[in-house]
Amino acid sequence: MSLAHKGRRITLLGLVLLAGVYVRALAFTPLERFQGPAQKIFYLHVPAAWSAMLAMGLVGLCSILYLIVKDLRFDRFAAASAEVGTAFSLVMLTTGPIWAKPIWGTWWTWDARLTLTLFLFFLFIGYLLLRGAVVEPGLRARYSAVLGICGLVLLPFIHLSVYLFRTLHPQPIVLKPSSPSLPGSMLVTLLVSFAVFTLLYVGFVTQRYALALQREAQGREHA
Amino acid sequence: MPDVPHNGAYMVAAYIVTAVILLGYALSLYRRAKQP
Repeated sequence: MSLAHKGRRITLLGLVLLAGVYVRALAFTPLERFQGPAQKIFYLHVPAAWSAMLAMGLVGLCSILYLIVKDLRFDRFAAASAEVGTAFSLVMLTTGPIWAKPIWGTWWTWDARLTLTLFLFFLFIGYLLLRGAVVEPGLRARYSAVLGICGLVLLPFIHLSVYLFRTLHPQPIVLKPSSPSLPGSMLVTLLVSFAVFTLLYVGFVTQRYALALQREAQGREHA
Repeated sequence: MPDVPHNGAYMVAAYIVTAVILLGYALSLYRRAKQP
């Protein structure tokens, strides 16, 4: 089975399981008393943020590895991960304001967490634009790797921003030193959603990596 | 006990937006792979 075919199968499985997450979150997970139905956005917003940060983390790690070993497979993976990360950060940046409006009374506020996540999105866009602008593969990989490492450096600041600055954004309720502060049924829905978003990330990246291989092979045929 | 807020429309909007973005991206990958 080809890599593209594997990626499509994983993505299809991820999308079917995402439908399952929708059903579980909407029909079988209790309402939060103070926030009402809007709180259920949590089951998409937080896993999307996790996937976006996973994507940028792997872009950064592959960038470091590329600069050390100069293997284009790392550059190819970083490019695939950056494009997929852009999609997940778009989900994060659209569901966040839709949740914020009924709860905070505003779509957006320029506090540290929100501003840094917007910056992460712009880094993804900048990374993709840079790759589109530089034609020579070695140079493109080197410049992109530098930007990818900048993205990796940004991640701890995003995670810690809710502790370091005054912000409307709530502090982590799962990824924190003490035990998660969520009722069991809500926690299960969230963890299932985390798993499904991670599976979708794997499926998307596999497909995008296979697409890059396909384009390179076509380029060699035309040359 | 406070009344539960009526803000289901925001929830529906967020779920639709997420589905559109993820399905749209999946479709874009599929179409690009099928292009000659």
